[in-house]
Amino acid sequence: MELDTKDDEYMYSGHVGCPGCGAAIAMRFTLKALGAKTIVVLPACCWSIIAGPYPQSTLKVPVIHSAFETGGAVASGVRAALDVKGDTETTVVTWAGDGGTFDIGFQALSGAVERNEDFIYVCYDNEAYMNTGVQRSSSTPYGAWTTTTPGQDWKKMRKKNIVEALVAHRIPYAATANIAFPEDLVRKVQKAKALKGSKFIHVYASCPTGWRIPSEMSVKIARMAVQTNIFPLYEVENGNKYTINYKPKEYLVREYFKLQGRFRHLTDRDLDQIQEMVNEDWEVLLRKAAERV
Amino acid sequence: MILQENPFPGVCGRVCPHPCEGVCNRREFDEAIAIHSIERFLAETAGRYDLKPILTRLAAKKQRIAIVGAGPAGLSAAYFLALLGYSCDVFEAMPEPGGVLRWGIPVYRLPLAALRSDIANIEAQNVRILTGQKIGSEFLQDAAGRYDAVFMGCGHSRTVKLGVPGEKTNAIENGLQFLGQLRQGNTIPLLGVSAVIGGGNTAIDVARSVIRCGGKAVILYRRRRRDMPAFEEEVQMGIEEGVELRELVTPLGITTDGAQYTLTLQEMKISGEDSRGRANILPDEGKTRELRVERVFKATGAEPAEDWYNPPDKTKVSLTLSHTILISPESGPALAFGGDLTNETKSVAHAVASGKQAAMALDIFFHGGMEAIVPKLAECRVGQGPSLSMEMYMEGSRRLRNTHVVSYEEINTDHFQFQPRITRPRLLKEERRTSFKEIDLKISTNLAIREAERCFNCGICNQCDNCYMFCPDIAVIREKNNNERHINYDYCKGCGLCVVECPRNAMTLREEDI
Amino acid sequence: MKRVIEGSHAVAEAVRLAGVQVISAYPITPQTHIVELLSEYCASGIMDARFLRVESEHSALAALIGAQSCGVRTFTATSSQGLALMHELLHWTSGARLPIVMAEVNRALAPGWNIWTDQTDSLAQRDTGWIQLYCEDGQEVLDSMLQAYRLAERVYLPVMVVLDAFYLSHTYEPVDVPAEADVDRFLPRYEPRFQVDTENPCAFGQLVPPGFYMKMRQNIAMAMDEALVRFDQIQEEFYGIFQRRYGPVEAISCNDAEIILVTSGTATSTCRLVLRKLRDRGEKVGILKMKLFRPFPVAMVRKATSRAKKIAVIDRNFSFGASGIFAQELRAALCNTPGRPPVFGYIAGIGGLDITMELLEEIYWKTKEAAYPENESVWMGV
Repeated sequence: MELDTKDDEYMYSGHVGCPGCGAAIAMRFTLKALGAKTIVVLPACCWSIIAGPYPQSTLKVPVIHSAFETGGAVASGVRAALDVKGDTETTVVTWAGDGGTFDIGFQALSGAVERNEDFIYVCYDNEAYMNTGVQRSSSTPYGAWTTTTPGQDWKKMRKKNIVEALVAHRIPYAATANIAFPEDLVRKVQKAKALKGSKFIHVYASCPTGWRIPSEMSVKIARMAVQTNIFPLYEVENGNKYTINYKPKEYLVREYFKLQGRFRHLTDRDLDQIQEMVNEDWEVLLRKAAERV
Repeated sequence: MILQENPFPGVCGRVCPHPCEGVCNRREFDEAIAIHSIERFLAETAGRYDLKPILTRLAAKKQRIAIVGAGPAGLSAAYFLALLGYSCDVFEAMPEPGGVLRWGIPVYRLPLAALRSDIANIEAQNVRILTGQKIGSEFLQDAAGRYDAVFMGCGHSRTVKLGVPGEKTNAIENGLQFLGQLRQGNTIPLLGVSAVIGGGNTAIDVARSVIRCGGKAVILYRRRRRDMPAFEEEVQMGIEEGVELRELVTPLGITTDGAQYTLTLQEMKISGEDSRGRANILPDEGKTRELRVERVFKATGAEPAEDWYNPPDKTKVSLTLSHTILISPESGPALAFGGDLTNETKSVAHAVASGKQAAMALDIFFHGGMEAIVPKLAECRVGQGPSLSMEMYMEGSRRLRNTHVVSYEEINTDHFQFQPRITRPRLLKEERRTSFKEIDLKISTNLAIREAERCFNCGICNQCDNCYMFCPDIAVIREKNNNERHINYDYCKGCGLCVVECPRNAMTLREEDI
Repeated sequence: MKRVIEGSHAVAEAVRLAGVQVISAYPITPQTHIVELLSEYCASGIMDARFLRVESEHSALAALIGAQSCGVRTFTATSSQGLALMHELLHWTSGARLPIVMAEVNRALAPGWNIWTDQTDSLAQRDTGWIQLYCEDGQEVLDSMLQAYRLAERVYLPVMVVLDAFYLSHTYEPVDVPAEADVDRFLPRYEPRFQVDTENPCAFGQLVPPGFYMKMRQNIAMAMDEALVRFDQIQEEFYGIFQRRYGPVEAISCNDAEIILVTSGTATSTCRLVLRKLRDRGEKVGILKMKLFRPFPVAMVRKATSRAKKIAVIDRNFSFGASGIFAQELRAALCNTPGRPPVFGYIAGIGGLDITMELLEEIYWKTKEAAYPENESVWMGV
């Protein structure tokens, strides 16, 4: 793996993330890309715990823990304070889970990016409320079991397309990234860092605990999400310039689903239906990317 | 580090049929690594820049060893014995060392300079080569007292008789001799058609040399093309160059009218296959043909030039290994036999293997006797075949490697991208027909590096640092020298990600012994 | 310089004079005049501050939490529903020990929709760890705002300056708007004791085990106690420069009063007229004006009421299932004093209903007539 910032480390060992935690990997890569001049705003999420209890900290950059729904707003305030202090060097990054982004924090996020606040919002997406014990969120994919969508009541609604929601705000930069593609992730974070205004990065971060997968498979499954088109890697500049970063191998989604306990109940018919949904989403994305050419 | 294991990278990088590429894991992904080309590239590069590797050498020992025959087996034995600390004298009948490499294989496959470069390196390891020293059968008695062991690597240099009427009329020329004359620098202009009888590499070499001397060549082989012992690639190139191949024929007799020879050819028919898949053949009764040619070469099998070269009957204390036979007589020096004398497959690679095996076996024998040889050699095995590692024998770091042979299924191919194998640059077939110039051309440094980068490095950490990067707990530690990685067990949670994300299966996860 | 300005503008002038660096607010009637004037000040360059026009009150305070963590002086203003929406972050602000100052315009909570004054919105936030200062007029609003920054930045607790909707926020009065130089003497540049700094990376507001947590909460309690002491010191300093001061409570004619009317906000002004009228008729009446609600000035309340026979608390608020909130606090403050007087609770002016002189007089006479209160609360004017 070739990364310029390979040696830069802004995280300590000994945090309390679960074995194989995708969110921990995502943070590690992101901070490698951002460097020491970074302030992390951390609304309630798994990382509120992983970041460590008083008087210790997992990170080597300052962290402002904040209320669940305030990721966009607190970062706006931090940026404003830095601006009035004349600090243009420091990057403000909000680091939120899918619950804090798709659901409870969506308003503050929408407000902040509508104002085009100069910060990076990273949503590390583990597709449910994992910190509270695997409850469904609007990021939970169609078909998934969670503790609040148990048994035959598995989630029948599709995952909210958060990137498109952000793109609709016409922010300078919105992108997806994935822990299995570190070079791409780091490049996107660095690109976001160099741009002014609101930047949104949606990072796929697998959760062995909540997805009922073996811990060693967490990166493999993350990679498969891209390979199957379930989570395409792409970026959108100024709300209209789409670039697809990875031409997937078009594996069948079935391969991805059958590895995960949270999808165990799905029938072949369900999987066929999901395949159609994925194909449809991919077609839509391709069209958007092509229209610019 | 090839030279720790093989004294002939320049030679093998040209003439070895590279069975290694046939089992290369990359083959199942896209195409095998061009190991052969890379080996030659390394030998040439080392030669060009006069790079001298620092080889592991053991302390000097008192035993002296005589080597009979300076072919690939004898020179390999001498080379490895020298590394193990023995002083060796190599006795060679011909005026220059190399054996089949010098006098058999045509220069378009193995240029003299490449051979001399490898031999020079062998000599640099304190190996004394005495050329023009034909050894008689009395040598073994004379050696007692002067030598503690004798390695016999005299090869197969006498072409076996065809047993065909007319053979004794000198109508049939010896293929090996023909190749030898060419290698002595003689120019032999040929006109008309030459028949070459046989299906081995010698037959192909002769036929292709005939073409280069201006003649036409027809190979007569009693089985099918796919049964030929010759390397398929050589056969293919020969045909490209204009060699005609007649399968399923065998000569019954030869007559001459003074200007031409007439061969009576018996057509053969197939009657099933043997255990190795070769056709069992029978004469197709009544079906014969005639072939008129200007010359006839026999290039069937070869045998030792003298009977005493062969290992004696196993009445004495002896040990038969995969490539070597070792004999410990009641008196006199120990005897080791290698090369074509013992190898079923007559190739340079097998000859080198026998030299290496004999060197190790003799070293073990001197220290621990016959019975110590097999268990000790077993410790130095690489992979599941008979291959032995001198580095492991010398307690090198390769011993630390996991002996598990990584299968393709164990490779994480997500971390590799399809990339075609390099195409080896070659002379055009038109150029090949008219000259003995080396066919395979050099590959550029860029190409060689690109090709080497395709290597999966199965089971071997190449510091790609996937383990380090993907560790959620920053529990993979990179040493300051950047050559080593280790796990910080205080922080490792045992998630196993590093093992799965290792592209090359160089890590394993084992439950801790409590 | 005396100017005739709205109470809202008194807030805005104080914010300007305090050199606030980051403002974050969301509009709600009757707070809007405050943020409109500040927007103009920021737009015209009169103020060198960042104004974040956020999408909710919740985000308004969240943004200030972020900004204040970085060591700058901040301000927000809200009212009623907006304050209720902020509730979660009110706790967060004090827990994070951030000296944020807020102007809170008292307005009734829905439903039904009611934009007029009512103290229930701010008093319902009494347990959030904010210092609360209630104001009677435009001058007090401006002065309290300046004092609020001094106090907040001294004890590292947030301060809410509370003013009645319309009666104060939209009422023009002569207000002495002090000179910047004088304000600078009283309120120097904010030098935070701790702030977010990439050179010294620390975690703010992280996971805390019970032992540490309880200690931290005790520290907040101690800071509240300290605020009571500092409040007085700050008043003295303020007086030294501006010749005005305000006590945590103001005891008016209480020394010989048999009945003390307890008021807060603009109702106090009306009560002052009633006091004069009743005194003219020989009634021994006093007023205890409550300015500092949190920390609650227990000792001062006890001292002021020590000679009274009866106490009548006028509450423009109500805690359902209990009583008026000031009445509760008075009862709690007095219950451990010997010979404590009975506390009469009167609920008046809810939802912006006028608290007239007649109403206050009626309260006085009702109190005088009864030996003890029949009910904890008497709803007046309904």
